Amino acid sequence: MGTQVKDVIIKPDSPNTLLLDKHADYIAAYGSKKDDYEYTLSEYLRMSGIYWGLTVMDLMGQLSRMNREEIIDFIKSCQHDCGGISASIGHDPHLLYTLSAVQILSLYDCINVIDVDKVVDYVRGLQQEDGSFAGDKWGEIDTRFSFCAVATLALLGKMDAIKMDKAVEFVLSCMNFDGGFGCRPGSESHAGQIYCCTGFLSVTGQLHQVNADLLGWWLCERQLPSGGLNGRPEKLPDVCYSWWVLASLKIIGRIHWIDKAKLRNFILACQDEETGGFADRPGDMVDPFHTLFGVAGLSLLGDEQIKPVNPVFCMPEDVLQRIGLQPDLLS
Amino acid sequence: MHGRVKLKSTAQQEEEKRKEREKKLKAFVSTRDAVLKKRSAGEQDEEALHLTQLLLSSNPDIATLWNYRREVLLHLETLREKDEVQKLYECELHFIEVCLKVNPKSYGCWHHRTWVNTRLPRPDWTRELGLCDRCLGLDERNFHCWDYRRTVVKESGVSVEQDLEFTERLIGSNFSNYSSWHYRSTLLPRLRPPPPPDSAPDTSPAPSASPQVHSHRVCEEQLLKEYELAHNAFFTDPNDQSAWFYYRWLLGRAEREEMISCVYISREGERVSVAFSKPVHALAVGLMLVLDGQPQRVEWRCAHPRFRHSPVWLCDLPPGSISDMSNEHNLTVHWTEKHTHRDCALYTGCAESWCRDSATDQELFRSELSVEKSSVLQAELESCNQLLELEPQNKWCLLTIILLMRALDPLGHEKETLAHFQSLKEVDPMRSSYYSDLCSKFLIENTILKMEYAEVRVFSLSNKNLTTLCHLDQLLLVTHINLSSNQLVRLPPQFAMLQCLEVLEADDNAIESLEGLYHLPKLEEVSLKNNHICKLSDLESLASCIKLARLDLRGNPVHKTANIESEISQLLPLVTALSL
Repeated sequence: MGTQVKDVIIKPDSPNTLLLDKHADYIAAYGSKKDDYEYTLSEYLRMSGIYWGLTVMDLMGQLSRMNREEIIDFIKSCQHDCGGISASIGHDPHLLYTLSAVQILSLYDCINVIDVDKVVDYVRGLQQEDGSFAGDKWGEIDTRFSFCAVATLALLGKMDAIKMDKAVEFVLSCMNFDGGFGCRPGSESHAGQIYCCTGFLSVTGQLHQVNADLLGWWLCERQLPSGGLNGRPEKLPDVCYSWWVLASLKIIGRIHWIDKAKLRNFILACQDEETGGFADRPGDMVDPFHTLFGVAGLSLLGDEQIKPVNPVFCMPEDVLQRIGLQPDLLS
Repeated sequence: MHGRVKLKSTAQQEEEKRKEREKKLKAFVSTRDAVLKKRSAGEQDEEALHLTQLLLSSNPDIATLWNYRREVLLHLETLREKDEVQKLYECELHFIEVCLKVNPKSYGCWHHRTWVNTRLPRPDWTRELGLCDRCLGLDERNFHCWDYRRTVVKESGVSVEQDLEFTERLIGSNFSNYSSWHYRSTLLPRLRPPPPPDSAPDTSPAPSASPQVHSHRVCEEQLLKEYELAHNAFFTDPNDQSAWFYYRWLLGRAEREEMISCVYISREGERVSVAFSKPVHALAVGLMLVLDGQPQRVEWRCAHPRFRHSPVWLCDLPPGSISDMSNEHNLTVHWTEKHTHRDCALYTGCAESWCRDSATDQELFRSELSVEKSSVLQAELESCNQLLELEPQNKWCLLTIILLMRALDPLGHEKETLAHFQSLKEVDPMRSSYYSDLCSKFLIENTILKMEYAEVRVFSLSNKNLTTLCHLDQLLLVTHINLSSNQLVRLPPQFAMLQCLEVLEADDNAIESLEGLYHLPKLEEVSLKNNHICKLSDLESLASCIKLARLDLRGNPVHKTANIESEISQLLPLVTALSL
């Protein structure tokens, strides 16, 4: 019953240099095809889509190519009476898109175009008795939403709006036997969730509660022979997991535990030389989501053509410096 | 968008695809617009269910549509008899199942299913359990389904015992099922907790109330069974990581007892240092200091301002309170939050004093290793050694052997451990930095143990390929440290916990940063020959070490700095012996 290692093979003719100009062109063009099939079908996550696109443009020093006024107007029209922000017009508010909107407005340094106090009320209102956060009024609980809540409040400088002790207690109750974290207490560890929980503990100054050596081991074991990282044991590598694992390792001070050169090769091989953009794996279709996490991953690996990225907020460091936010990292 | 392979296609195929997409897009947009219009008109009827169904059945991730459905369902509930409500929601469950076939990983679907169960007049948990079994049959790693299954299990009264058998069945059919091993790790402590510690009935909190549920351990009898299960798995497929991760957890044990591990007092500077068994925030945990029966108002500070939480905290006593050598003093530090304290007596004629646990290896470093009887661990080691003979390149086996050796006799096995680390770096070069750091940690632990046995305050660990420093809180009392000829790149902020340090030798490393040489009140001599200290600003923290008189910086790039000698004498005026 031998298990085969699930992995990909990187072909010798795969891209091995960073095609920044192509990526910038790809993102700049993406938002202009508003009646495109893919574009329309992704309306339900538009706000996050804009955050992915703008952040990667800012990291590449190309933010000015995006339509600032149009985007700000769009965000304003997505804030609801309850204070929460939706993915798009006609959709319901949710913590996921509230964070994305606040991140975008932080990039643009114009947070006050929305009603900030109402956003804070919205976030506060979603905290539950046990300290967890619901994503919206329909009550889905997930540690992702704990991260969204504190990241939003941190960007707004309103961390004191929620019951912090309880919030921390809930996230810690999701810690597992392998040092990782899942969606809810008892849920299996997952790199995306680990990113949210270590990010949460960083923002709240509680990283000393992490078993960094144990978790770091699990995280560095995500690296496969191709150099790419997977999100859980026995899964395929993926550029977005490369970011989540890498950022988590950076947060807990163990980024040197993976082979950086091999990961860089894997990420570069996920570029599309024709269209620009990054795919999840070499040879797959590209999208803005993987394009951000590819570029952000290369930034964490020290690529000097890209602005330094903050591992907790996945935003350019210079933006966070301007806001005066410096989340903890373990050394 | 995951796993969509980019295909090369002809112009004609492209055109056909474009037309098809255009058609689909039109249908989508017109239905979406109709739904939005109905919703804004406040219509909550069967047609709304029908239209959202059209959209969701191909795009189950559109959360707002599920929200609309819930609004409609809640409204229809008020109009119908109980049996009809039951039917309404049963239809909904059926529809969700269709959507789950489209996307079994849709957060929205699984959440909606949970919600529907809360509205069903008569939920059928057996059917739901069946759904989970089928779904896990298709993908045993679907964590959405595992999460949903847990709520079903809770409601349907499946016993922990039965659930454990369920994981055993899944593991039996495929050892490489990390999800099942994970689930077992959550079940075992509930089913077979270890006997409570006999001495302290008040220190075992209810499992559900404690944030450290994960650290709850398993009784020994069950552990033996688990070892066997893991053996079966990794002897069958030694390269499957799931069982090895699980096995490492089995070898672990509960966290160290929370306590004040050391109190140190010095007449010079009238200073107190307190070490804890875990990082704390002195202001938050309610630390109280009593000197000769009098509570003192002191200001606690961390050894380094980088930390909010630290295992070492410092304070200054009021001037004159202990400076007279002819007086004897009694000091008590209370950790009020944990109802624990530690006393320390300072006798006449003594310049300093301390009180701490007579540390043994068990107490200090085995917090991640087992307390099981050594005969059991010995047998485990033998079986892993057998496996290694068959699979000499197996990294999981090598690492596990190292861990077992440490649990049994860390000093006795030191040589073999180092050899195994060398093999690990060769068979798994991608993670060589991890192995180097882990090896450094173990060497530091061993050196501390040797120091404890010898009852000295000298820590010497040179020429051992150290890549990182850890356990520095254990070195609070050390006066001399030798770290020369290693591969260290920094003296981290934690280094500032070495409050008694007088002499530091760290020649022939690759040290760039001296952040941790910060406010070390007794530090007199520092030797940093042949390191990578580049800039004058790298030396700034040394200015806070007020007793520093001798500094050797030969063989560092910093000597190239213009006017370096005068710059350093300005920065560190008290250094009388400077070598550049």
